Amino acid sequence: MSSPAAELHQMAAVGRLLAGIVHEINTPLGSIFSNNEVMLRSLDMIGPLLAEGTPEALARAGKLVATCQSLGAVDRIACERIRAVIRGLKTLSRVDGAEPRRVDLNLHLMDTLKLAQAEFRGRIAVETDLGELPEVECYPQMLNQVFLNLLVNAGQAIEGEGRIAVRTRLEGDTVHISIADSGRGMTPEAQARAFEPGFTTKPVGEGTGLGLPISREIVEEKHCGSIDFESRPGAGTTFHIRIPVQQKRSAP
Amino acid sequence: MSPNGAQPSIMIVDDEEMVIASIKAFLQLETEYAVHGFTDPEEAARFAEGQPVDVAVSDYLMPKMNGIQLLARIKEKQPEASRVLLTGHADKQSAIQAINQVSLFQYLEKPWDNEQLLLVIQSGAERARLFRELRTKVEQLDSANSSLKDVQKRLLEAFL
Repeated sequence: MSSPAAELHQMAAVGRLLAGIVHEINTPLGSIFSNNEVMLRSLDMIGPLLAEGTPEALARAGKLVATCQSLGAVDRIACERIRAVIRGLKTLSRVDGAEPRRVDLNLHLMDTLKLAQAEFRGRIAVETDLGELPEVECYPQMLNQVFLNLLVNAGQAIEGEGRIAVRTRLEGDTVHISIADSGRGMTPEAQARAFEPGFTTKPVGEGTGLGLPISREIVEEKHCGSIDFESRPGAGTTFHIRIPVQQKRSAP
Repeated sequence: MSPNGAQPSIMIVDDEEMVIASIKAFLQLETEYAVHGFTDPEEAARFAEGQPVDVAVSDYLMPKMNGIQLLARIKEKQPEASRVLLTGHADKQSAIQAINQVSLFQYLEKPWDNEQLLLVIQSGAERARLFRELRTKVEQLDSANSSLKDVQKRLLEAFL
């Protein structure tokens, strides 16, 4: 997908996520900085304590070593958190080749989810139910864009606290991905116009009205799949995407 | 240690366990404060209802309750406690809201600087102690005043 409108839309979507991503990185970063300082200070103190050699000094040194060990473990968790966010960003910024690739769609879905979650954190509980899938032949970056669109929409449909459920299943020779939110749902008018380019219910500056039409084009035109949804005002919306495991080959 | 012998009590509230672990380790190395960490803001609010708190440091984005709501609840029960927001969400809106709604003592951003955090917590604890002392003095003045009035009243009754 390289039309200027699609690119702009994608940039807007990533921009909206950035604030959450910054938060997601700053928290573990704060921990790592702090731990580094405490560990260096502790190491400075341990040398003289060992030289002193009295039982009290040795006990104190032992305590400092234990503190350093537990902070080292905290650092590891913090680094892993940052790495997960960076991995998600890398996944998003990669460009698809001309030919479809065989990929683990569950993995891609999880990477995208991690990015979107930066925005949901603390507010929305995400449930994942990922079924066993074969490798799917597709343009993974395009599909990531679709997942991100739907996840961001789902997050924005929820005021305050709520729930998003992500589910994947193999159904015959098709992979079925559903993304359900407990948000406000769509009015009948919004449902009728959801895939219309330029139609948005979001405030000016927040929605481009292109997310769903672009998603539909990616799923239906590029992957011979289908995208549809069910929605009830006040009860939430569920999107269903179906992608064939194997793309049809053009006749040899 | 404050002069009455009680250790200043510091609350750290963040839904991220790692933040609590880091700040706790730092404060334990550098200070004699009693440090209480909470990942659940509800639990933190209940804690503040039961015992004195000198400084409450809270994250902003948390499940169930955001940092401003939590600090507002702590303010009701512990008006003297110094309230600090420590947030990774560099968002002016929340800063302004916090300062206006809960008369924040300090607003800090993640990643935080330990030296600065220590300075804020030390001055916050000192401020809380002074407020408590002031309240005790005012209460003493009040009671002295009312006993004086009582004496005056009895004097008048005796002589008139």
